[in-house]
Amino acid sequence: MEDKLQELVVELLGDGAMEYFIGYRQGFEPSHVVPCFVTDKSEADRLIWGPLCLQNLSKYVLQARDLDGKVGLLVKGCDARAIVELVKQHQIERDKIVVVGVPCEGQVDPRKMEQVLGVSMEQVTDVEDAGDEFLVKVGGEVSKLGKEQVLRDKCFYCKHPTSFDYDYTLGEVQPFTIDSESEEYDAVEKLEELPLEERRAYWLKQFERCIRCNACREVCYGCYCKECIFDRTDPRWLDRTPLPRENEIYHLIRAVHLAGRCIDCGECERVCPVNIPLGRLYKKLQKDIAELFDYEAGMEYDTVPPLVDFELDDQDPFL
Amino acid sequence: MDRKKISKADLGRWLDTIAGKYELIGPTEDEGIIQFGPVQSSAELTLEYANSLIPPKSLFFPPVESLFAFRKRGEEIQLEETKPLQQDRVIFGIRNCDVGSLSLLDRVFCDDLEDSYYRERRERTTLIALACPTPPRSSCFCTTFGIDPLSPAGSDILLTDVGDVYLVDAVTDKGEELVALGEGLFAPLTEGEEKELQPPPVDMPQLDVRELRERLEALWEDEYWEKLSLPCLGCGICTYVCPTCHCFDISDVGSTSDGVRYRCWDSCMYSDFALMVSGENPRPTKRERTRNRYFHKFSTFPSRYGTGYACVGCARCLVHCPGGVEITEVIKDISAKEGVSDR
Repeated sequence: MEDKLQELVVELLGDGAMEYFIGYRQGFEPSHVVPCFVTDKSEADRLIWGPLCLQNLSKYVLQARDLDGKVGLLVKGCDARAIVELVKQHQIERDKIVVVGVPCEGQVDPRKMEQVLGVSMEQVTDVEDAGDEFLVKVGGEVSKLGKEQVLRDKCFYCKHPTSFDYDYTLGEVQPFTIDSESEEYDAVEKLEELPLEERRAYWLKQFERCIRCNACREVCYGCYCKECIFDRTDPRWLDRTPLPRENEIYHLIRAVHLAGRCIDCGECERVCPVNIPLGRLYKKLQKDIAELFDYEAGMEYDTVPPLVDFELDDQDPFL
Repeated sequence: MDRKKISKADLGRWLDTIAGKYELIGPTEDEGIIQFGPVQSSAELTLEYANSLIPPKSLFFPPVESLFAFRKRGEEIQLEETKPLQQDRVIFGIRNCDVGSLSLLDRVFCDDLEDSYYRERRERTTLIALACPTPPRSSCFCTTFGIDPLSPAGSDILLTDVGDVYLVDAVTDKGEELVALGEGLFAPLTEGEEKELQPPPVDMPQLDVRELRERLEALWEDEYWEKLSLPCLGCGICTYVCPTCHCFDISDVGSTSDGVRYRCWDSCMYSDFALMVSGENPRPTKRERTRNRYFHKFSTFPSRYGTGYACVGCARCLVHCPGGVEITEVIKDISAKEGVSDR
């Protein structure tokens, strides 16, 4: 599939169909995959594809808005939901993007894999998708890990492994099974069952670690405000100091601002350097939005996110 | 002091004795994260770590600290200064890259413009460095910047794991005081042991940084920075996990009559870092901000303080950058650039 991808990128760059292409390349060690910006055909051979291509690259299209031409992007089905939302939220025109859809059969959560293997990802030299399992190479030895052991949380409930909207596609997903009985909202429901005070204590303990590096905001496709409320100095809504009370407000404001727009790409949790389980917070939002408005972000073009929409007969008892 | 040894079983006893007299700080694990924090006893420490996520610079220059509290009553203003430390401290387990970073930070906070908060923490802290495990992590490159992971330079005591025992090199008076606390736990090395008990040599990739500064300075206007900054997300991870970054912001929290003046870390990677009241921003895009970070490490800092490069090869930014901007690649790219571009 990598050959096909590289050939396609060379062709599209050669035709002038796009100005640059964003995919993945290997980083400083084999298990470390990072974004790859291909501006020249000669660099296309760096592009890779596999179960460690974790990052949702969609946010990057926003910085290509001012290009004369188009920007090309490799998207997994989950990441494509961000493209759908960005177009719906009028952040970019769809025809500015060349979407190359890639069939994804599940992505690895490196933290889970480290736990299962008992070694650091540094020791992992290759991860290959083999249907129901991953073939993982550590120090020359290959072991088989069932997907249910190491998949990213979001992959268990994947709605479309390949983008429904693409300009080019690299193929079809081969059917595979995940040996798991867990349900999409299990983790959220477990938290919901806690008494209010315990639930609050749980989150405060998590937010206490926050160093306010803003990585969750910067990686989020939905955080595109020209001036973020957190950066405003007049008025100063929130102090920059990473004190517990400020951290709490930071995360709650961000969550509320993403309600109805979060596409469950999991990037906020993945990039968090201090392992705050933000996925659970945002999963709760998705659950509420689904229950209250029967809406799921990024699944189709012709619906409007509920909190940016209104109807004249909306109830407004609080006004 | 001559080199001594301490058995692994006795290390905890020694640290517990230290904890009875000082605030003991060392590597602990919580939620899968290694961090340096205060402990009551050695049992809370972990020895299974390469290095902490947040560098121990945070113990001298905390992510957030109160500088003073203020109260205004009528025309009268009262100020209450914050004491940085309640007790003398011992930091156990610091790695040599981070020890090296402290000597760089000393120049910033203790040269002509002295920072009393930082200085007090430095003076009242004893450092017990722990030589790095071998082989080092594949990302490490401290030797590129002249740091020897097995040297006691910069710390008060160096411990080196050589199997059943740690070799103990106390190289300052503060270090010897701590060794004296562990009476009966330390033994001199026999002549045979002097030769036999040696840590394995550290093998690490060495990057060519001989002309890095000159080459970099010739690239100010190069298109390289535009391309390098494309994957940068503009978050602050690289600066917050960096042991040599030291920018901060100051804010008053509270009301105009009662409040606290805080200092907290700031990051030159934030879009509003250089923004002025007038609305002018000298580093308006990621291109300028990314360029600034590398210029500061490899040109501005060395030229201002007359030091070596302001990078200690800890690789934290390399490992944690969510956009995959890799400092080792930047160094290689700059070294590989031919000639001087249009300045």
